[in-house]
Amino acid sequence: MAWVRLHQRWPNLAASLPFVPLVFSWWLTAWLEVFPRAFFPGPGDVVLSMISLIYKGILPEYLLDSVTRLVVGASTGVAIAIPLGVLIGMSRRANTVLWPPLLFFQAVGDIAWLPILLIWFGFGLTTMTFVIVYTVLFPVVLNTVLGIRSINPDLLRAARSLGASQARMIWEVVLPGALPNIMTGLRNGLGYGWRALIAAEIIVGTSGIGFLMFDARRAGSVVEIMLGMIVLGLLWYVVDAWILAPIERATGERWGMVTR
Amino acid sequence: MKSLTLNQLSKTYFDPYKGTQVTALEDVTLSIAPGEFVSVVGPSGCGKTTLLNVIAGFLPESGGSVRVDRRPISGPGPDRGVVFQSFALFPWKTVLDNVGFGPKMRGVGREARDAIAMEYLQLAGLAHAADRYPAELSGGMQQRVGVVRALANEPDVLLMDEPFASVDAQTRLTLQEELIRIWLDRQTTVLFITHDVPEAVFLANRVVVLSKGRVMDEIAVDLQHPRKWDDLIENDSFKSLSARVLQRVRAA
Amino acid sequence: MVSSGNNAGLSAHNSQLMAARVRSAVWFLIPLALLVVIWAGVVSLFEVNPRIFPSVTSVWQAGLESVFDGTLVRHIGASLWRIAVGTTIGLAIGIPLGIAMGVVPAVASFFSPLVRFFSVLAGIAWIPIATLWFGYGFGAITFVIFNAVFFVVAYNALLGVSSIPMQVRNAAASLGAGRMAMIFEVLLPGALPNIVTGIRTGMGFAWRGLIAAEMIATDLGLGYMLFTARDFYKTEVIVLGMVVIGLLWLALDRLLLAPLERVTTERWGMVRS
Repeated sequence: MAWVRLHQRWPNLAASLPFVPLVFSWWLTAWLEVFPRAFFPGPGDVVLSMISLIYKGILPEYLLDSVTRLVVGASTGVAIAIPLGVLIGMSRRANTVLWPPLLFFQAVGDIAWLPILLIWFGFGLTTMTFVIVYTVLFPVVLNTVLGIRSINPDLLRAARSLGASQARMIWEVVLPGALPNIMTGLRNGLGYGWRALIAAEIIVGTSGIGFLMFDARRAGSVVEIMLGMIVLGLLWYVVDAWILAPIERATGERWGMVTR
Repeated sequence: MKSLTLNQLSKTYFDPYKGTQVTALEDVTLSIAPGEFVSVVGPSGCGKTTLLNVIAGFLPESGGSVRVDRRPISGPGPDRGVVFQSFALFPWKTVLDNVGFGPKMRGVGREARDAIAMEYLQLAGLAHAADRYPAELSGGMQQRVGVVRALANEPDVLLMDEPFASVDAQTRLTLQEELIRIWLDRQTTVLFITHDVPEAVFLANRVVVLSKGRVMDEIAVDLQHPRKWDDLIENDSFKSLSARVLQRVRAA
Repeated sequence: MVSSGNNAGLSAHNSQLMAARVRSAVWFLIPLALLVVIWAGVVSLFEVNPRIFPSVTSVWQAGLESVFDGTLVRHIGASLWRIAVGTTIGLAIGIPLGIAMGVVPAVASFFSPLVRFFSVLAGIAWIPIATLWFGYGFGAITFVIFNAVFFVVAYNALLGVSSIPMQVRNAAASLGAGRMAMIFEVLLPGALPNIVTGIRTGMGFAWRGLIAAEMIATDLGLGYMLFTARDFYKTEVIVLGMVVIGLLWLALDRLLLAPLERVTTERWGMVRS
């Protein structure tokens, strides 16, 4: 009962509470050396490492690198994906021609492109950006198309009867109508995107959180790997739960539309 | 206001499930004078919605013509305003912006179109809801917005596709009386599709009975305006007209 | 009572359905075939360096070779085997655990952020630590796959169960459902659409994790095949690998996962969350 009340009044506090026993059991497992210390360090070690890396400036720099790459790649991906999605959603012909290749290339997946990208562009920013753009592209396109298809056709007819040209209709009706689905696509896309980023940084990178983890693995240092994972998890959790999910919900609810 | 003329209008389409051509409309000839209110009734599947969709320009005709005054139509347009059964209000726009949509498409500036929209909202008694979103309104209110949204664009003809079918029975009666009030005020040419016979008789100057895509009958309604349900519900003329139309519809 | 007339109608309908499916399959393949034609055209027209991009024929030949000498089959086999093992374990533990957590609303809301945190992290991010714990090879890769499926499915199962209206569960209880019956007749079916969505998403992460892990952590498998070919600029092997990966995932997703998802949600007329 008390828990339910807590959950309703301070949802953020309630959300953080479960992590307490988690961290505690972590600490306990490490302290008891259930696994060798080298394999399973405790929270204390991780915190110390974090402080050290912040002090050296490495953690902030890597974090900034990763986040920047993700933002740049995701923005580019979205900028390409939404117009593409509108095109496919509104043109039967474009749909017939483009849909199967879209599905196929989505199935190939971003990571499978890395070897050939490495041949073309080497170990650098271009390769990583391409991977992220590629990854974000598909969920956004597919969800945009889904969103457009689920617009009440009467809305499109109403707009035409009120004198809207094709272009105005896209801006005034199609995009707002598909917006909840586009937000879902964006949320999914970012979910895949940051994973692709990590994979790219592990395989290709010279900096970034993924690289931090990979480098630490090479040096056999579990502490930094764990630190990297926690930073990633927290970052994405916060972005997803506090920024993306509320926006997705808000666009859907505000306009009384059922999301997804 | 302009007249609406249908001349030997026909519409056939290919039904993928049956694998054959289906005739939705055949040889429909109808003249609606400027300012006239015509109801179209018929059993389910008689083609009345198809008729409206063709006139509105959402579907192309297969044969015959649709003219507004003298000009044949081509595609949907602001000359033929449409009120939909599903209301079709833009959920992401306020009521004011919904009503102002038509003027916006014509390039009217923000202030001017807000003024126009407010004028029409007042006509429907909805000025207080101007800043609300459609989801916040009841069905009846949403449809009132739908009606004035179409009117605010000053169409030559108003097409209404079973507009009150999704609204509860009590509200429906109120909306019908309001529609008459607005019609008397604006002198709009109206084509009103419905399956509800008393509604068709209550609203119209003339009732057209449609069946299997053909015009079966046209019955003039010469009841006095303004019409109110309280008066007409016991009125002998109204009752016999309704009965006649209903008989026609059921015989079709 | 089915009259013979109805039977004829039903089989006619079925053959119509079959024809429609074949037609849509063909329409699906045509643009892809077109793409292959464009590929062939561009490569020969611009005389593209084979170290940059291979020609259609070289990929085809590489494909035939690797099929005949068994290497492709071995790689595919290794990858699929890892996926199968990881997924099975992930489902076997994730579904029951997720359901168990979801049953009591207070427990569900307690664990939800926790499981969500891990499902958000699931898959690729675990590669470095997995290789440290399990060394290179089967263990690490399968762990990554298991991890991806487990957390996502558990989270979705949790969500699914906790979103079953209490009234439905109460109705079952007052109709005499015991613990077992409740699980199998109410909770599992009720959560199934979410679970299936979770499976589909989790496997998506798992598949990507597989390829990524195979690139750095092993010496057999599709990811490995792709990555080593890079050292020798054998672009035809790379493209072959990419096509195989694409086809495999398409087959898995479209022929298995998507229909499964569709069937569970449509069958029961539930709106997917």
